[in-house]
Amino acid sequence: MSDLTLVVRGETLHLMPERAAFWPAARTLVVADVHWGKAAALRSAGVPVPGGGTADDLARLDSALERTDARRLLVLGDLFHARAGRIATRTLATLRAWRERTAGLEITLVRGNHDRHAGDPPPDLRINCVDAPAHAPPFVLRHEPAASADGYVLAGHVHPGAVLRGRGRRRERLPCFVVGRNTMVLPAFGGFTGLATVESDDARALYVIAGDDVLPTFTE
Amino acid sequence: MAETPPPNDGTSGIGRNFRDAAGPSPTHKSKLPAQLRAATRKLKAERERDAEGQGRAGKGATAGPSDGRPARKPRRKRRAPAANPRATVHRWFKSKGWRSFEFQEEVWAAYLNGESGLVHAATGTGKTYAAWLGPVLEWLRGYPDAERARRGIRSAPLRVLWITPLRALAADTVAALKAPVEDLGLPWTVESRTGDTPAKQRARQRVRLPTALVTTPESLSLLLARADSRELFRDLACVVVDEWHELLATKRGTQVELCLARLRHLAPGVRTWGLSATLGNLDIARDALLGVDGAGRTNPGRLVRGLVPKALEVDALIPETIERFPWSGQIGLTLLPRVLAAVEEGRTALVFTNTRATAEIWYRAMTSSGVPWADRIAIHHGSLDRRQRDRVEQGLRTGALRCVVCTSSLDLGVDFTPVDRVLQVGSPKGAARLVQRAGRSGHQPGAVSRVTCVPTNALELVDVAAVRDALAAGAIESRPPVERPLDVLAQHAVTVALGGGFRADELLAEVRSTRAYRDLTDEEWAWTLDFITRGGETLRAYPEYARAVADDDGTYRVANRMVALRHRLSIGTIVSESALKVRYLTGGSLGSVEETFLARLRAGDRFVFAGKVLEFVRIRDMTAWVKKATSPDGAVPRWSGARMPLSPELAEAVRIKLDEARRGVYAAPEMRAVRPILELQRDWSRLPAPDEFLIERLASREGHHLFFYPVEGRLVHEGLAALFAYRLAQLAPLSFTLAANDYGFELLSPDEPPLEAALDAGLLSSAHLVHDIPASLNAAELARRQFREIARVAGLVFQGYPGRDKSVKQLQASSGLLYDVFARYDPDNLLLQQARREVLERQLERSRLGRTLERVSRSRVLVTDIERATPLAFPLIVDRAREQVSSEKLADRVRRMTPQLERDARGGSRRGRA
Repeated sequence: MSDLTLVVRGETLHLMPERAAFWPAARTLVVADVHWGKAAALRSAGVPVPGGGTADDLARLDSALERTDARRLLVLGDLFHARAGRIATRTLATLRAWRERTAGLEITLVRGNHDRHAGDPPPDLRINCVDAPAHAPPFVLRHEPAASADGYVLAGHVHPGAVLRGRGRRRERLPCFVVGRNTMVLPAFGGFTGLATVESDDARALYVIAGDDVLPTFTE
Repeated sequence: MAETPPPNDGTSGIGRNFRDAAGPSPTHKSKLPAQLRAATRKLKAERERDAEGQGRAGKGATAGPSDGRPARKPRRKRRAPAANPRATVHRWFKSKGWRSFEFQEEVWAAYLNGESGLVHAATGTGKTYAAWLGPVLEWLRGYPDAERARRGIRSAPLRVLWITPLRALAADTVAALKAPVEDLGLPWTVESRTGDTPAKQRARQRVRLPTALVTTPESLSLLLARADSRELFRDLACVVVDEWHELLATKRGTQVELCLARLRHLAPGVRTWGLSATLGNLDIARDALLGVDGAGRTNPGRLVRGLVPKALEVDALIPETIERFPWSGQIGLTLLPRVLAAVEEGRTALVFTNTRATAEIWYRAMTSSGVPWADRIAIHHGSLDRRQRDRVEQGLRTGALRCVVCTSSLDLGVDFTPVDRVLQVGSPKGAARLVQRAGRSGHQPGAVSRVTCVPTNALELVDVAAVRDALAAGAIESRPPVERPLDVLAQHAVTVALGGGFRADELLAEVRSTRAYRDLTDEEWAWTLDFITRGGETLRAYPEYARAVADDDGTYRVANRMVALRHRLSIGTIVSESALKVRYLTGGSLGSVEETFLARLRAGDRFVFAGKVLEFVRIRDMTAWVKKATSPDGAVPRWSGARMPLSPELAEAVRIKLDEARRGVYAAPEMRAVRPILELQRDWSRLPAPDEFLIERLASREGHHLFFYPVEGRLVHEGLAALFAYRLAQLAPLSFTLAANDYGFELLSPDEPPLEAALDAGLLSSAHLVHDIPASLNAAELARRQFREIARVAGLVFQGYPGRDKSVKQLQASSGLLYDVFARYDPDNLLLQQARREVLERQLERSRLGRTLERVSRSRVLVTDIERATPLAFPLIVDRAREQVSSEKLADRVRRMTPQLERDARGGSRRGRA
């Protein structure tokens, strides 16, 4: 596992291959677009999606928490995919068990569009829910990216993916961090999520997650 | 059976009818298919024999109408004096200025005799009435005074189901079927029911179906999903499947097979007739239509040959100068003046192209060429708005149009008057297809069908010379049906569960009575049932999922209304690229263009569509809004529809042509024209003999290229490319970019691949294919793409409720995502296996691939190091399609890409834009 370190508005941020960002000064791990219960929601709509994804997501989250020893987990929206998924007993049982193991961790959810449909998580998961924008100077925390005069915006919602083209006309699409001057969009954390292709340009750089590494798609 | 007329009562024999006929009546001339007219004269000599046909039919005519319920019988007042149904039909033909053909008489007699079968003939030669008048004759025989009985009674219940592959054909078909019904005064109603049917008509049909219903496979499935499907089809006497060759080799064909088995179950004794173009595998086409019995024997059925195609003449426009480096599209529009001249040779012409993009390009060029008839040129392809296509078809019928540039959208039996001239832009790709297209011309008596090929690159001239040989040798392509696709079966099982429910053993017996599922194993059936009830083995623990449930007496039904609605909206097996409607800001729909193309456009970008240059404004509400552009140029959208490969028959003919060239034989004019190209190929590299296999090796700035030339068509080459890339990558950690065309394929890698070592290790071997192909596929992700269709058909992904896009979005998952999830958490899922199998059998044509490898591995391998791209290699480099196979670690690959990306970034080029 190798992280990529950036300094944003004077604060160090580690971009992690677990599809998370770590803010060491605040001992905070930041993720976006977890979409827990998506498979269960699809199943109840008659789409036979196998389970197992939630457990994998949690394992990845555990890895990130363990490596960073974070005290706080910040979720930039879309923690739960849909109401039906939120109440699926099996998913909830898995999450409760995980929450017992991580009792010392403080979790804050900045509500996103899916959370508005799904409603807040059950109280026993002990997740603080706040509306966007939330403030953690120098950062402004949102679900849907939009510039803010109050600080550097950390956001999700987009599920960004970068298309890389290489020698021999090869092509690869990978989840990525989109880092702009005023905004950073995190990759979707949930494993059962798609990618929306994002192009890099002068105003924003893409950092792709390639296996166990985070790599820049350019050199300074 | 008092109403059965005595056989052959002789009051009006066919022979007499013919002698009485003075020829086509002028008043009906314009409506009359000219081919009928022409062939009628040819059949003069056969007239007398028709009397025998009459006798035959009469003898077979022992059964009354299957509808024996007195309550449904029309009131009979008195018997008409000339009650011979055949005479009635012949009189009707005569009133139209037509005469019946022997094959029509044969089908009628067979039908009355209770037989089923398949009729094959060229388009527009009277197949429709061959199938339709059987049921009509049967009715006339049962109710000879039908004309008088008509008044005051209800129309007869559903007796004839007419399945057509294209909604667009339904209206024409209804009109054709109605003509005799109305003229003869039958108390029948004829209506269509397709996705286009207005709500009012639908509502009426919900109460009572017409006597004859023209419908698509999808709409038929929807009818079978109705809870009252048992009652609906009780009186069904006949099913006709029109254009069966179009459905046969597709999953829609499989769907039709299942529906036909269902209808045979609901209406025992129903007769099935298929109408088809001539195919190389007509026996199989018939068996798929008629099904098999419990012992796996095919049900008996007749194969009737209709009118034979006329003599066919194939020629080509040969460019005056031939470039030595051919690439697709290279000749482009330089032949435009000669195409215009060819069109001017007749009054009307069709210009066929292989892709919609080519049609757009040629249409633009022809209309802006300045010819005086430029305003009487039209364009026709499958993405255009239905109303525009209707206008074009109407223009063809009335003769208002001089020339139509079209794709395979006009291959099917859209009924219009034959044209004087047919041109084919690009390689003909197959003999049968060219015959079909050529059949649009030359219907005058004694005329020869002629088609003129317009090459888009010089090598296509070889294809033209080869297709002429293939036609002379009588080679006609086969269309193999799909073998037991489980996605279609799962969908059908839910359909039947909705349509009144089923018991597992009964439905299994019914499903096994189709040709497609005759070998369905107990395990596959159990899996399918499991899939629709529990979602499969891994979903046992998820009670929230259930599409069908078995009730206490073991009948499977759909209990959940949401599931039922979703299923009805998802019936069908057609999966199209997600396309957006294209509309003017000022209103007016132009058609639809694939999202992948539109997504790359920015406001102000121009593109060509429906023959117009448009300026893109924005995408909103699943619609691309455009306005007319002021500038005359724009990009042409690429539609990702299946590109057709060379047929096996044509590929073999091409190999023979290349061998002739190697031996210095250049007989055909097309071959003489490409001689400089082939001689350059010979000088710089080789022209392979039939027992040789040519591999070219080239190092360039792009990397290390390997070119292979099996000449087996693009699909086989794509499969071989993935296979060879996989086998090479077993020897060294390499990434490859793959490209394929009809002549060969290219593997491109950044480092030199160990070719000699790989050849020694069995690169060309046909052994271990069962292992190597799936292994190479996993890497190439072909299966992941194929899964898209399967996921849609099996009901894994859902395209949404009409008008309710947003609210269900959170219940959507892309098929690619589902594929990944299944591959990881449910690797034994049979639908994944099906995706791999379909890629093997259909996309990669495994059996053809295996045969190719056997041929190639027996050949002498010629590895030639070339200094620059040869004429055969050049088009591959230019026209490269991209695929990737790699054994490198992902991160390594990305690190390699970085320097290149850097250059892109510095160069300021905007990646991702065409």
